[in-house]
Amino acid sequence: MGLAGNAAIVGAAQYKPEKYQTAPQMFHLEQVADLAHKALTDAGLHKNDLDGLVINGPHFHEASVFVPAMAAEYLGIEVNFAEVVDLGGCTAVAQVWRAAMAIEMGLCQAVLCVIPARMAPLGPTEDPAWMAQAMRFGGHSTAFGAPEAEFDLPYGHMGQNTGYAMIAQRYAAQYGYDKSAMAKIAVDQRFNAQYHQDAIFNGKDLSIEDVLASKLVADPLHVLEIVMPVAGGAAVIVASKELAQRAKKRPAFVTGFGERLSFKSPSYAKDMTVTPVAEAAKRAFNMAGLSPKDMHAAQIYDCYTITVLLSLEDAGFVPKGEGQRFIKEHNLTFKGDFPLNTHGGQLSFGQSAAAGGYSQVIEAFDQISNSAQARQLSGCDNVFVSGTGGVMSEQGALILQGG
Amino acid sequence: MSTLKPMPLATKISKPYWQALEQNQLKIQQCNDCDSWVFYPRNHCTACFAHELEWKEVSGEATLYSYTLTRIPTMPEFSDEMPQALAVVELKEGVRVNTTLIDIEEQDIQIGMPLKPIFDKVTADGKTLLRFTAVNNQGGERKFDNPLEGLPVNDKGQVQVPVSNLSALYALADNKFTEWSNSIEVDQTLINAFADLSGDDYWLHTDPERAKVESPFKTTIAHGSLVQVLQSRLTIALPFEIVGFNTMVNYGSNRLRFPAPVPAGSIIHGRSKVKDVSTSHKGVQLTLEMNIHVQGNDKPSVINDLVILYR
Repeated sequence: MGLAGNAAIVGAAQYKPEKYQTAPQMFHLEQVADLAHKALTDAGLHKNDLDGLVINGPHFHEASVFVPAMAAEYLGIEVNFAEVVDLGGCTAVAQVWRAAMAIEMGLCQAVLCVIPARMAPLGPTEDPAWMAQAMRFGGHSTAFGAPEAEFDLPYGHMGQNTGYAMIAQRYAAQYGYDKSAMAKIAVDQRFNAQYHQDAIFNGKDLSIEDVLASKLVADPLHVLEIVMPVAGGAAVIVASKELAQRAKKRPAFVTGFGERLSFKSPSYAKDMTVTPVAEAAKRAFNMAGLSPKDMHAAQIYDCYTITVLLSLEDAGFVPKGEGQRFIKEHNLTFKGDFPLNTHGGQLSFGQSAAAGGYSQVIEAFDQISNSAQARQLSGCDNVFVSGTGGVMSEQGALILQGG
Repeated sequence: MSTLKPMPLATKISKPYWQALEQNQLKIQQCNDCDSWVFYPRNHCTACFAHELEWKEVSGEATLYSYTLTRIPTMPEFSDEMPQALAVVELKEGVRVNTTLIDIEEQDIQIGMPLKPIFDKVTADGKTLLRFTAVNNQGGERKFDNPLEGLPVNDKGQVQVPVSNLSALYALADNKFTEWSNSIEVDQTLINAFADLSGDDYWLHTDPERAKVESPFKTTIAHGSLVQVLQSRLTIALPFEIVGFNTMVNYGSNRLRFPAPVPAGSIIHGRSKVKDVSTSHKGVQLTLEMNIHVQGNDKPSVINDLVILYR
């Protein structure tokens, strides 16, 4: 079952994460075209090679329905496969395996996977205050009949922070909680960000003391354990083996994937401390015929430090309950014995909405294709990538391998 | 910008749940086919998909599954609950509920601790939220704590609400109309005076003879904008007075409608209600819906959502 490993990421493009206030404003269609051009250039492929499109639907500025058709028309491409993915922070990982699957089924040969995440310019009659009002409930639906509008919001259950905080508290009650181990995740990743010029926290050091002295947002999470939202956007080109041979860079073949979701609020998880990536990663490793110890790097979705801890455990890199000890015993930087989020992770690179998940995918591609410059790992062939959307609600895993 | 705390809107599926809470009972659904308990309310069993659910009263005995204390409010209107003790509670029946803990000291909150329900009346008309507290505490009904109670009253009998008291301000927006104001007559003399002043001397307002024949109302009618400004002659007995601000600004209107005509010679009166209270960097914004009616007519002649800004 699954992929034969005959499709690969062959090119990528990613906007430098920037603060929303100072980032350029572009229409989403304009970003799609710009990112597509950059990713094709990176791959050494041509627009007319594209015959598949995977795009994000929610928050797409110029349309809420018919997004792929509008984007194909705008780009000027004809596709045999069009898909919208609505999986929050898991969207990037989910786009890549859907593209690989379509290619292996023979539907297409080169797929543009893209998520624009810079703000679009306001129209002359659009009021920024109205937009702020619309954003008030974040990812929570206020629609009549939406369970979270009826059973969460009246109690003040809102946003990601408190959901992840409650997962961390439950974990703490079951396995214990070592604040400095959790802080070390952010600190080791910050080290990596010093070697990635585009990282939002490039040039800013971080110590465990800094993390623990930062403001508590919701017990036990400090503000420096939480990603910073930034403007950005990303695209990758996934292509067939035949096209990949024409690509400029070493391709990163998609040899395994998994996806899992069953709730939106983690309150309804069977066990809050066993996350969906457990199933997703198991499938991905089985498909690739590899195990966690075969990985040369792990690019783990890191909206919060707790996400990294649980993903490391549930994906099988360390037994349940031993993650914090593992973190303290290992150097998690690109120079260390367990290279984790070698670009800095989203905690230090910045989280550009759903495109933030691409920072992990693209870092895996950069390492495999020898494009990671100052932070390049030697002999990096096999990389594990995870994606997480909602509040640990929707998770996916990819195994990427150099060809 | 923040407005009132979000309130649950019962659906046809969930109505029995909210109705039971108002009667200090906890009712959840059980599947008649497989006996599984279901929460939140649905029309189907999440264990076996049968559509045979039955509402059953349960004790509310529960344990704390997880919680967090917020150091930054999740929404600005929850700043009166700091720190919010957000919790996931597991009922004895095995289902989990998102809620908040009350009356437990921070250091006494322990995951796994036994809890019991509190039926918290959050509005004067009995809307009830389900919260939980420690088993040694008093459980059951928690009476509506009207934030307007205990505030000083001025010599007109109005409760004085400090502009800094957010929960009291929010409590003003109860969507209830004041009593009717005094009544005044809108006669042709007044209409003519307004026509002179405004320059709007259209025959529909100023020519009773022609109006008798050609107007669909068979008489002249007052200008909509005349009736709107006559609000100043109507004394509305607002039950409150906002105090403690530096400036009060008439910020204009969010909505102005003239749904029904005011024929010359009509007696009008008005009433108002606080439609919304919100806070932003500009200050506290109070939206007062002013309605002016021809006496005896259910349909208002003027609806004006006046926005007043205090800072």
